[in-house]
Amino acid sequence: MAGGGQLGGGSKPKRGKSNRKQTKRQGFHLDMTPLVDITFLLLTFFMFTTTMAAPQVLDMTIPPEIDVEVEVRESELLSIYVRDDNKIFWAKGSEDPQSIVLKDIQALSERENLDPAVRNKLIVALKVSKDASYGLIVQILDKLNLAEGKITEEIMKELDENGEPKKRERRFTIAILTDEEIEKLQGV
Amino acid sequence: MSKKVKVKRVGFAIDMTPLVDITFLLLTFFMFTATFKTQAESEQKFVVQRPATTPSDTSKLPDRDLATIKIAIDTTTFDTVYYYEVVNETDRMKVWQNTQGIPEEMLSKAQLQVSKEVLNELVKNTRLVNSTTLFAIDADKRLRFEYINDAMDILRKNRATVFSYVTDKQQ
Repeated sequence: MAGGGQLGGGSKPKRGKSNRKQTKRQGFHLDMTPLVDITFLLLTFFMFTTTMAAPQVLDMTIPPEIDVEVEVRESELLSIYVRDDNKIFWAKGSEDPQSIVLKDIQALSERENLDPAVRNKLIVALKVSKDASYGLIVQILDKLNLAEGKITEEIMKELDENGEPKKRERRFTIAILTDEEIEKLQGV
Repeated sequence: MSKKVKVKRVGFAIDMTPLVDITFLLLTFFMFTATFKTQAESEQKFVVQRPATTPSDTSKLPDRDLATIKIAIDTTTFDTVYYYEVVNETDRMKVWQNTQGIPEEMLSKAQLQVSKEVLNELVKNTRLVNSTTLFAIDADKRLRFEYINDAMDILRKNRATVFSYVTDKQQ
């Protein structure tokens, strides 16, 4: 018979004799097979149903009103354009746009933000076509966020009037491409 | 004379104690780290392919006081659909009841499929019911930015200017 506990047999009682000393020796053999079976079942259940980490988020802060015209100095503006065919361009101020690849965006942001002329004052504007892919936009935002690490580190090396390390003031905005910008990007 | 055929019986005695030990350890580990789907996730029939960002330890999705605007691609019609979910149940009941345009049978659901106008109403009511609710946009990476921009406009109009995009860790 497979499995099941079995009691070791006690010694047979002696019959018919006056001394009925029964030394019942009982041995326990507990078969652990079902225990291990269930344990493995539970384990595989939890292995399949567990989710390791909560989803990540990319925090965004948008300005409350976008229709208000803001005066911006050309020298303090860095524009990054994403065209409807998902090609990326950049332009400093009112210069002509140049094309750029996703992996160079982080270096671009670091270089332009740490430019001595506009340190900590540069406004980065991400202008996106309505038909651009959302996944690409998030990756650009991600690269810009990565650049913030090095930029903040460099900015904090300087001291302001009170002798405290300077705080990073990030100026960033995201908006849809205007028609004139679409025109400007046609020829590039 | 009977020939005695000797059959050599070799006995194997494997001690299973360490095996069972490690198994129980693994089991308790997974028991502690398992998280179960929220009501909204279990009602959800679509899958959102989230865009990828570099892994960071700092930003995680909050698990309470959260309202999510999900923008997904319907698997059969390939239309873009807006869904809205509020995690907190008491808040959710109040918001669902205060908003017109929600049919009776959907009142008990955690996640609703909505049009942009109803979405605007829902966001407005959510802000009114609980002003500390955090917003998140969970959109499919393949979508055109126009849809996400419309969702951002709705948040902007209702003065929820701080929100998050839900992303996946980049492998």
